[in-house]
Amino acid sequence: MTAIHSTVDPAGRAHARPAGPRPPSGGDGGRAGTDSAAAARAARNRRKWLEIVGFSAPATIVYAMFVLVPMAFAFYYSLFRWRGVGAPTDFRWFNNYKLAFEDPVFVDALTNNAIIVVGSLLIQGPLALGIALLLNRRFFGRSVFRALVFVPYVLAEVTVGIMWGLILVKGGELDTVLQSAGLGSWIRPWLADQDLVIWTLLGILTWKYLGFAIILFLAGLSNVPEELSEAAAIDGASWWQIQRHVTIPLLGPTIRIWMFLSIIGSLQVFDVIWVVSAASMRSLGASATMATYMVDNGFFARLWGYGNAIAMILFIISFTAGLLFQRFVLRRDIEGALTGRGRRAVKLRGGK
Amino acid sequence: MARSRRTRSVLAVFASAALLATGVAACGSDDNTSGELYKNPVTLTWWHNANQDGPGKDYWKKVADDFHALHPTVTIEIEAIETNALQRTRIPAALQSNDPPDIFQAWGGGEIVDQVAADYLKDITDQTKAEVASIGSAAEIWAVDGRQYGLPFRMGIEGFWYNKAMFAQAGITKVPSTLAELNEAVTKLKAINVIPIAVGAGDKWPAAHYWYNFALRDCSVATLRAATKEQKFDDPCFVKAGEDLQAFLATNPFQDNFIATKAQEGANSSAGLVANRKAAMELMGDWNKGVMETLTPDRKGLGDDLGWFPFPGIEGSPGDPKASLGGGDGFACAKNAPAECVEFLKYIVSVDVQKGYAAAGVGIPVAKGAEAGLTDPVLQTIQQATAQASYTQLWLDTAYGSTIGNAMNDGIIKIFAGAGTPQQVVDQMKAAAQK
Amino acid sequence: MAAVLSVRGGARFGARRQRRFSWGSPLTYVLAMAVAAVSVAPVAYVVLGGFRTTGQIAADPAGLPDPWVWETYGRVLSGSQFWSQTFNSLLIAAGTTTGVVALGVCAAFVLARYSFRGREALYTFFTLGLLFPASAATLPLYLLLKDLDLINSFWGVILPQIAFQLPVTVVILRPFLMAIPGELEDASLIDGTTRPGFFWRIVLPLARPALVTVGVLAFVASWNSYLLPMLVLGRANLATLPLGVQNFSGQYTADTAGILAFTSLAMLPALLFFTLAERQIVGGLQGAVKG
Repeated sequence: MTAIHSTVDPAGRAHARPAGPRPPSGGDGGRAGTDSAAAARAARNRRKWLEIVGFSAPATIVYAMFVLVPMAFAFYYSLFRWRGVGAPTDFRWFNNYKLAFEDPVFVDALTNNAIIVVGSLLIQGPLALGIALLLNRRFFGRSVFRALVFVPYVLAEVTVGIMWGLILVKGGELDTVLQSAGLGSWIRPWLADQDLVIWTLLGILTWKYLGFAIILFLAGLSNVPEELSEAAAIDGASWWQIQRHVTIPLLGPTIRIWMFLSIIGSLQVFDVIWVVSAASMRSLGASATMATYMVDNGFFARLWGYGNAIAMILFIISFTAGLLFQRFVLRRDIEGALTGRGRRAVKLRGGK
Repeated sequence: MARSRRTRSVLAVFASAALLATGVAACGSDDNTSGELYKNPVTLTWWHNANQDGPGKDYWKKVADDFHALHPTVTIEIEAIETNALQRTRIPAALQSNDPPDIFQAWGGGEIVDQVAADYLKDITDQTKAEVASIGSAAEIWAVDGRQYGLPFRMGIEGFWYNKAMFAQAGITKVPSTLAELNEAVTKLKAINVIPIAVGAGDKWPAAHYWYNFALRDCSVATLRAATKEQKFDDPCFVKAGEDLQAFLATNPFQDNFIATKAQEGANSSAGLVANRKAAMELMGDWNKGVMETLTPDRKGLGDDLGWFPFPGIEGSPGDPKASLGGGDGFACAKNAPAECVEFLKYIVSVDVQKGYAAAGVGIPVAKGAEAGLTDPVLQTIQQATAQASYTQLWLDTAYGSTIGNAMNDGIIKIFAGAGTPQQVVDQMKAAAQK
Repeated sequence: MAAVLSVRGGARFGARRQRRFSWGSPLTYVLAMAVAAVSVAPVAYVVLGGFRTTGQIAADPAGLPDPWVWETYGRVLSGSQFWSQTFNSLLIAAGTTTGVVALGVCAAFVLARYSFRGREALYTFFTLGLLFPASAATLPLYLLLKDLDLINSFWGVILPQIAFQLPVTVVILRPFLMAIPGELEDASLIDGTTRPGFFWRIVLPLARPALVTVGVLAFVASWNSYLLPMLVLGRANLATLPLGVQNFSGQYTADTAGILAFTSLAMLPALLFFTLAERQIVGGLQGAVKG
């Protein structure tokens, strides 16, 4: 084996760290100079490009056709004042976009989205992480618990709406439980109070999407070799120390991916808000999000041009958020991968 | 990478060309004359909204089968689609793609105006003169500029559904016929500790109907007609409607947290409150009896205690006290549907078929003479009131089209939430007309 | 190894350090049960709701079935195309999942293990789809599908669903594929395998937990999707389960008990799939790279 920066410690156990792609010319250091070598390189290059295109073409084609083309049309429609009948003829440049920001309900929707983004990150992240670490240990009935925790994610949205509607109504389950626990003074109009409803929704969103975070973290944890934890344990680390210094750092890339998906998902959230909160609450801005606003005030009001403009605004905000996130947070993973230098050395207590 | 970029642009060009071509190919030919009626086998696609398993769905199936038996060359393919999906997604998409069903649900009002403007519907004025005469003024709702484009099969006005036993208990001896009497009734009901009126403001439109009814009382019929036709809301009567609404809200007639209560779904909906004897009254359309029956364990709703009275008049107001707010359901034929489509439509609204419709218990029929099929006394009351109304105003949000309607409902909800002003409602309506 | 651990670690860790099959500490159980309870209690309520009638639920939302009504579940199971809808949903979900995983892992492989100009651009290209609300794309998508004559065809649902699920899949798979140590790749190349061979023989098996994860997510997304099937699959015999639930809501009435019963049943196949699949999520790189 060529001498690469050693990732195998003297005891013969490997450290898994994001190693990333190797230089295209393979393991042998490229030799410059002779014509035959140049021709060989060119052939390798051609083959490399063939492989790249071959692997990525099916996905790219399907994706371009069914996602990008409709998106382009959505942008096109957003520039018109159009009621969805006949062809769009009333070209208005970016007037729809301007109207959106002049609507206080849309601004409320933006605020609600912000609350959901931040709230989801702060609440779901640590919670899911803790639960995933818990469920990663072997114990009897672990599979059952995993399945139960995932159930909310699988539930159809209409059911979620009915269910929480019944639970949160005045005198429903939640109020009953609080009463019997002696916490009757905590009872509020969960879905009817304009200031409270968005927090109620945040709670329901946490309940529903925790399973998604957990399953993602479990997959990431499966990538963490047991040998590392064992080694640390032998060296005298406690369970918590192992998690903190070994497991969680190795879970870093997964956590960051989850954060990215969570932010994007929070910006686009629609289904739970739509089925749980009353239409009146959404019109008053108390529970509107950009996506529900798009449907309520755009498509259902037969303002197809306006609705598409909201979609584009949502897209631009998501794009910006995604871009910033990639640049500042995910960069660490990519850099480490490209250069092969481990950015995070795995520290073991009394380590080797 | 270069290759995939090129592929993408090729696909994009292809896709856009295809879409444009679809738009251009809109010139269909009217492929038959009346002399050829029933000669060639024809399949009609029919989209209706009675999608729940039950008498409604079964009856339409029977109607299709009966028509096929009468005219074996006509086969009817039914798609029963949930009403919101049908109205908001399926029909607009189908019309837009130039491949609509032949006969489909039509709600009249601003929507049909837009559809006619885009030339989606068949003009059936000449073939349906008799039916229009039988149906009466309600058919106007499915007409645009004097030409008929659809026909209703169901029509009913709205009013207050009330619990007779609770009224008796509260000492209310006759149904309120003026607003002052209604307010009195509210006070008396509070005294016996029941919710005077339930409202499903969570769904927006049940709350909005209060404003609509006040507008009906405060505005002259001429103003209302002009508003529907020209979409002009400058008359101060529209602002007065909001003021009357605020005064009414100030008497606190509704249940707690009404702002988020739904109208028909499950527990604690406004219909559920009345059905389960927690509230005494609800302002609602003619379908409410069926709704209330599903919300009680014994499936009987209020049974014999159920009563109905129309929206009270306001003393000294310029509006016509016998004008009523109402709405219905109808069907329309697509522009290029075969001529058999119009015949089928006429068959649906014919007296015998309408009698059967009434007997199925799913709604109030429109054809003259069909009301004989109604068995329920409350529905009979509503039907008579509908027939006697001097002017039937279609629900304002349907009449003005969902663009203005949505903005109007939003403005009204703000008033219910205690935050909006009457002027704002009108301003929002005008702004929406510009969007 | 096990012996060494239990001797050395036993004193320090107590019951936690058993390796093979452990009863776990009481704390683990308490926490696990609390989490499971919160997750599932509302759902249990839904399942029980199917044993009541709509009227019962309206009169007393917080109550238990009394009397137990079997008729609602019976009605769902025997009536109105529940089984054909389940079959259709299964077919579409299977097609979507297979397509998403296959296309996704290939694309992610390229993005993870090759370096070439425009790689990050391609990655961004894929993530664009994540950032756009699918519901806004439905009208143009419908027109496109009509032109391709895919209306009333399962492919008209499967292909766009694959397309919309690809961004999430690629985003999740790429770091997993990146994490496969370079030594493995170098070793296989030295042994004379091509890159595609490396993909087939080493990457795929190693990435199994990740593949299963994205497969489960794709399955659930397809299982619950209703907007696209609603537009594309008009004919009753083609309907999927999420469309089937609409049979319980009409213009003016909602059969709440029926909906609860229906969705309780509808949720089972997806859960089953998850249970079967989640065992695969354990595994991974353990012992894969040993000197």
